[in-house]
Amino acid sequence: MSEFALEVENLVKIYSARGKQPVRAVDGMSFHVPCGIIFGLLGPNGAGKSTLLRVLTTLTRPTQGTAKILGYDVVKKSIEVRKRISSVIQETAVELFLSVRDNLLTYARFQGLDKATATRRADALIADFQLGAEVDRKVQDLSGGFRRRVQVAKVFMVETPVLFLDEFSTGMDPLLKRQVMNLLRAEVEKGRTIILTTQVLSEAEELCDDILIINKGKQIARGDLNTLKLLSHGVYEVTLTFDQLPETIQTEIAALAPIRFTIEANTIDLALKTEEGRVMEIVSALTHGRRVLRVEVRGASLEDIFVELTTQQAKETA
Amino acid sequence: MSALSAVVYREAKIRATNFTFIFWDLFFPLLYMLVFGVGINSALGAPAGLGSVNYNEFFLAGILAMASFAIASNTSWSFFLDRDNGIFYEMLTYPMSRSEYLLGKVIFNVCIAVVQAALTLVVGRLLLGIRMHWQNLPLLLIGMAVGTAGWFFFYAIFALRIRRNDVFNSVTSVFYFVFMFASSMFYPLDPLPSWFRLAALLNPITWEIDWLRFTSIGLGNLHSILLEGAAFLVFALACFIYAVRCLHRQE
Repeated sequence: MSEFALEVENLVKIYSARGKQPVRAVDGMSFHVPCGIIFGLLGPNGAGKSTLLRVLTTLTRPTQGTAKILGYDVVKKSIEVRKRISSVIQETAVELFLSVRDNLLTYARFQGLDKATATRRADALIADFQLGAEVDRKVQDLSGGFRRRVQVAKVFMVETPVLFLDEFSTGMDPLLKRQVMNLLRAEVEKGRTIILTTQVLSEAEELCDDILIINKGKQIARGDLNTLKLLSHGVYEVTLTFDQLPETIQTEIAALAPIRFTIEANTIDLALKTEEGRVMEIVSALTHGRRVLRVEVRGASLEDIFVELTTQQAKETA
Repeated sequence: MSALSAVVYREAKIRATNFTFIFWDLFFPLLYMLVFGVGINSALGAPAGLGSVNYNEFFLAGILAMASFAIASNTSWSFFLDRDNGIFYEMLTYPMSRSEYLLGKVIFNVCIAVVQAALTLVVGRLLLGIRMHWQNLPLLLIGMAVGTAGWFFFYAIFALRIRRNDVFNSVTSVFYFVFMFASSMFYPLDPLPSWFRLAALLNPITWEIDWLRFTSIGLGNLHSILLEGAAFLVFALACFIYAVRCLHRQE
């Protein structure tokens, strides 16, 4: 077996439609992912994340290049790949005409699980995903959030070594999301590899051991959170809470040309790219002569890095 | 093998827990036989030139072909439902080949078609007194099975290629009209104008009906029935190959 869960070499996927310009959804990506980690694929809408996942899950054939899962080529050995993966696709994917329990059992049947194991695992997951009250209801009668629960629960029915999750937390409440994140961690500890895409960067920050940021089908940056933070040296996050929001504060902040800023009630959150020594000067200037309840200065978050890297690439392309 | 059984299990679960599907697959063609067939038989009597065969007996093969055509059409519509539910794409990542997926679906449809045929034959015999050639029953059921498979693969091509439900519904409505009426389903072909007869002879549903009519009531010429049977097999195989290609192109 390959030491890598994923091997991608010069992968290109071009969508061509009659009368339209071809779109290079994946444009020459190459990367390897070792086994037993959570690997995050991040990027803005249209970056190529879902297309890449569709290629890796054998839904779409690449135009050029190769992709391998545990050493098996996704085109030449697609069945071997499918035996080793399970996936939560971006769209809700459930059997509307079947009950919650039958959804889990039917999925297990496709994955070759014996009846006793399938029933035992289904019972456990129904409890974990708080689906007990809905277990015999047809999924078409459930809300979108519950449908997503059923969809995500299915992949925990099996023990395929590689798990793909395309924005798995969409429509989940925070408590359940937390629980699923814990389950994912537990799966990785058992040796599974998880490849996930998400738009919720805090989720990636918390879950991922390794992150690849992509935009317009190309790789922009790769590494764990600390490595990515190094790429974004000089980005700081500042939070200031005043007892009363100063009238001119918005103008003062705009003059600093921050990467982003938000004002909520009396609290200001801003991200700045500047030299280390200058941060305290800025904080001092913004708070001078004002009653301040809280001051917090932090290093860059994943969100800052993401915004900086993707906008930088957009500028370069322009 | 397990992939095929999983697809059959899934289809069976969906059908068995939804009465409307069972109604359309099993009972709707029977209503045609009991309402339309009996009505025509009573009002117009036997078609000319068929000897002692009455309209109910003549129409029996039409009902069977209509059932296999309708079962295939209903199942191909399920591609749209599955695509809208997202489950279609998820299923394509399950450990099975595209051909296994199609074959699993068709095996289930063939089973439904055989059950439907048995039901039609029993009702036809008991309620309408249709005289059947029971010794040909295995050949009749083979005709039903191949017929259903062929139409399923044919419809699957359109269901996989067309993205919009309304377009697909329009296409199937046109198909219903053209295939069923330009065929030997409702009337014998001999009295028809030559252009109409030619269109009907080129229509694969005529090939299926003629086979079913010969095996059920013994009407027809063995030589031409064998030729039509072979032609339908080629049609079904070509549709299967093209349907698998269409499934590979799903992106």
